[in-house]
Amino acid sequence: MRKLVETCITAFSWIALFLLIAALFTLIAYLVQKGASSIELGLFFGDTSPLDALMLKRQVFDGLFPAIAGTLFLIIGSMLIAIPIGVAGGVYLAEYCRGKMKPLFNLTFDILAGVPSIVVGLAGLLLTIVLNRHFPGQIAPCLLLSCCCLALLVLPYLIRTTQTALESIDPLIRKTAPALGASRLQNITQVLLPHSINDIVSGIILATGRCAEDTAVIMLTGVVATAGFPRSLFGQYEALPFYIYYISSQYTGPDELAQGFGAAIILLLLCIGLLALALWIQRRFTSFLLFR
Amino acid sequence: MIVNTNIKIQTHSLCFYYYKQKVLRDISLQLPANKITAITGPSGSGKSTLLMAFNRLWEEIEGCKISGNVFMNLNGQNTNIYAPALPVLELRRKVGMVFQQPNPLPMSISKNIAFPLRLAHISNKNLISDSVEASLRKVSLWEEVKDRLNDDARLLSGGQQQRLCLARALVLSPEVLLLDEPTSSLDPEASAAIEELLLSLKTKCTLVMVSHYQDQIQRIADRHVKVLNGQCSINHRQA
Amino acid sequence: MLRSYSLSEYTFLTAAVFSGMLTAAVFCFLFYFGLPLLQSGQLADLLFSSWSPGKGLYGIYPMLLSSLTLASLSMLISFPVSIGCSFIITALAPIRLRRVLLAMIRVMTGIPTVVYSFAALFFLVPLMRNLIGHGSGMSILTAAPVLALVIAPTMILFFVNSFNKVSPRFTLAAEALGCTKIQKILYVILPQAWPGVINGVLLGFGRAMGDTMVSLMLAGNSTAVPEAVTDSARTLTAHIALVLAFDFDSMEFKSIFVCGLCLYLLTASLMLLFRLSTAYFSKGR
Repeated sequence: MRKLVETCITAFSWIALFLLIAALFTLIAYLVQKGASSIELGLFFGDTSPLDALMLKRQVFDGLFPAIAGTLFLIIGSMLIAIPIGVAGGVYLAEYCRGKMKPLFNLTFDILAGVPSIVVGLAGLLLTIVLNRHFPGQIAPCLLLSCCCLALLVLPYLIRTTQTALESIDPLIRKTAPALGASRLQNITQVLLPHSINDIVSGIILATGRCAEDTAVIMLTGVVATAGFPRSLFGQYEALPFYIYYISSQYTGPDELAQGFGAAIILLLLCIGLLALALWIQRRFTSFLLFR
Repeated sequence: MIVNTNIKIQTHSLCFYYYKQKVLRDISLQLPANKITAITGPSGSGKSTLLMAFNRLWEEIEGCKISGNVFMNLNGQNTNIYAPALPVLELRRKVGMVFQQPNPLPMSISKNIAFPLRLAHISNKNLISDSVEASLRKVSLWEEVKDRLNDDARLLSGGQQQRLCLARALVLSPEVLLLDEPTSSLDPEASAAIEELLLSLKTKCTLVMVSHYQDQIQRIADRHVKVLNGQCSINHRQA
Repeated sequence: MLRSYSLSEYTFLTAAVFSGMLTAAVFCFLFYFGLPLLQSGQLADLLFSSWSPGKGLYGIYPMLLSSLTLASLSMLISFPVSIGCSFIITALAPIRLRRVLLAMIRVMTGIPTVVYSFAALFFLVPLMRNLIGHGSGMSILTAAPVLALVIAPTMILFFVNSFNKVSPRFTLAAEALGCTKIQKILYVILPQAWPGVINGVLLGFGRAMGDTMVSLMLAGNSTAVPEAVTDSARTLTAHIALVLAFDFDSMEFKSIFVCGLCLYLLTASLMLLFRLSTAYFSKGR
C-alpha cells in the first residue's frame, strides 16, 4: 500500500514538472512564432533612419525606440535612487542594528516587499495629488515620480539581499579585520562588503529586472502610449511593458499586433538576460568558493 | 595595578557573560612578560573567550558582557584596557591575534600583510613594502612567496596560510600576541614550524595561546593556565 | 576615529529608518485619503454593496470576491504543481538535471507577467472561448492557470530552499538505511520542513492577490458579482488600474483607496502571519 502511494507521488511529481514546462514552452513558442518575423530594424525605429533617431535628430513615431529608451531611463533612475538607500539600509540592519529594533525593521521590510505594485503606484499618485493641492498645476505624474515609486518597490529586496549577504559571512572573516585594528566602518567597507559583493550585485540585477518588467506602478505614475523620446524627468514617457499592455487592448490591425509581439519578445529577452547575468555572477561566486 | 614590571597582563575579578550565561567567573590572573602562557580546558569552558577579553574582540559579538578589569603593560605604561578613554582600535593594533582556522582575506599575499597598515592609514609605499618583507621574513615565509606576492593568498597551503596570518598579526609589531589553537588545523610538520616560530617570538612579544595538545604545551609553554567551569587554576612549570 | 564611526552609523541608520518610514507612509497615504469615507459611515456600503455607478452604488464587494476567488483558484492549481516540482528538484531527478531545472525555475521568476498575459491573451483566450461556449473567453478560469504559472517559480524556490535546509545528518542517516529518494522526501524531509511549505503557500497567496496584469488582461473586468469561475470578473488590483481615469473627487475614485487599503492590509497580514509562523516553528525546534 505504501509502495503504491510512493509510486503515485513520484509519478505525480513528474507530471507536475511536465505540465509546468509544457505551459511555459507553449506560451513562449507561441510568442516567438507570432513575433519573430517582426524583429527587424524597422520594429525599433519605424521609418526614421536609426542614426537620426539615436542622435535624437528626429522623433520616432512608429517604432519601439522611445519605449525602450523610456524603460532604460526608468531602470537607471530608479536604481540610482534605490541602490544607495537599499545597500546602506541593509548594512545598518546587518552590522549595527541590535536588540528589539531588528525584528521590527525586518517585519517592516517584509510588509513593504509584500505590498502589491499597484498599491505602490497608487501611493505615488496620491503623493502627486497632495503636492498638487499645495503647488497647484506644477506637479503631474512624470518620469521622476515613476522612478521614485519603482525604487520604493525594489527597496525591500535590496535591503534584504544586502542584509542576508552580510549576515551569512563566516564569523571568522568577520573577526579578522577587527583583530587587526580595523574600525567598524573599515571592516564593512574593506572586508565585509567586498566579500559579499557578488551576492549584492546579483540582488541589484534582480531588482533591475523587476523595474524593467513592472507595469502596474508606471501605469499610475505617468507612462503614456505616445510621448516620444523622454526629454525631461518631469515629463511623461513611454515604456516597453506598458506598450505591450496598450497594444493588447488597443491594437488596430495585424501590423500593430505584430509589433506588440515583437515588443514582448524584446522585454522577455531583456529580463531573461538580466536574470542570467545575475545567476552567472552568483555561480561564479559559488564555484570560486568551492574550488579555491 | 601592575607593580611588578615582569607582569604583562593582569586581570582583576574578570567575569564574562554570554546573554544570561556566566562563561567566566571571577578570574584574577597574572601573565608574565616575554613568556608563552598556554590556556587549556575542555571545549566550551571559555578559553577563547578569555583570549578575546584581552583585545576586546568580544565587543563585536552580540550578547556578550564583561565585568572586572584587565591591566596591560603597553608602551611601558600600565594601562587599564577597559578604560572608557582608551581607543579600542589602538589596543587591537598592540595586541595581535591569530585564529584556529587560517583566515587570509580574499586578496593578494602582500595586500594581506599590508592590510593592518592600510587600516592604520599608513600610505608610504616604501615603508609598506619593507614592513611586508620584514614580517614575512619573521615567519620564514619570504623565501617561499617572494616571487608571487601578488597571488591570491588563499592559494597557499594551510601551514603557509597560518604563517601568513601570523605575519599579518606581527606587521604592526604588537606587544602581546593571542593565539587561539593556532596549530589545530595543520599537519604535524606545519605545526612544528609554527611552534618554532612562536619560541623565536618570545623576545619581542608576550604570547598567550589556547591549545588542546598536552605535548605541545610541554614543548613550548612556560606557564600553563587551566580553565574549568569558568574558573582558572595555574600550573607553574618547572622548566 | 570615534566621530567618523558614529557619523557612518548615523548615515546607515538614516537609510534604514527612511525606508521603514516609507512603508508607513504608503499606509498613511491610503488611510488619509480613505478617512472621509470611513468617517461618513460609507465603509460598510463600499465593502459589501455591488458596483453600479448608475444607481449610486460603489461597492467593491465583487472585486474583493473576484480577487479571493482568483487567488484561491490559482493556488489550487499552482500548489500541487509547485510541490511536485520541488520534490523533483530536491531529490527525484539526477543531480545534473536538478541543476538545470533549478536554473530554469530561477529564470522563470524573471519573466515579465505582462509578457505571460500578452501571450495568453492571444493563445489561451480563444481556446477558452470555444471551451466555455459563451462570453469573450476572458474569465477567472482563463486567468487562474496563467497566474498559477506566474507564482509557481516563487513557491518552488521557497520549497526547495526549505527542503535543502534539512540537515544532511538526517538525510544521510536515512540513505544509509537504504531508503529510496521518494521515501527520503516523504518520511525524512517533509516532516522536518513542512512549516516551510506553509510559509511558501502564504507567500504565493500574497503574490497572487497582488498581481495586476494577469487579471487585468485575462479576467475580463466585468463588475458583476462572479457566479461561476467561467464568469468574467474584475479584481481589486485591476479595479485600481481601471478606475483612475475618473475625476479625483468622484465616488468612483474614492473607492480605489478602499481597494488599496484592502490590498495593503491583506498582504500585510499575510506577511505578519508568515513571520509569526516562522518564529513559532523555529522556536518549536
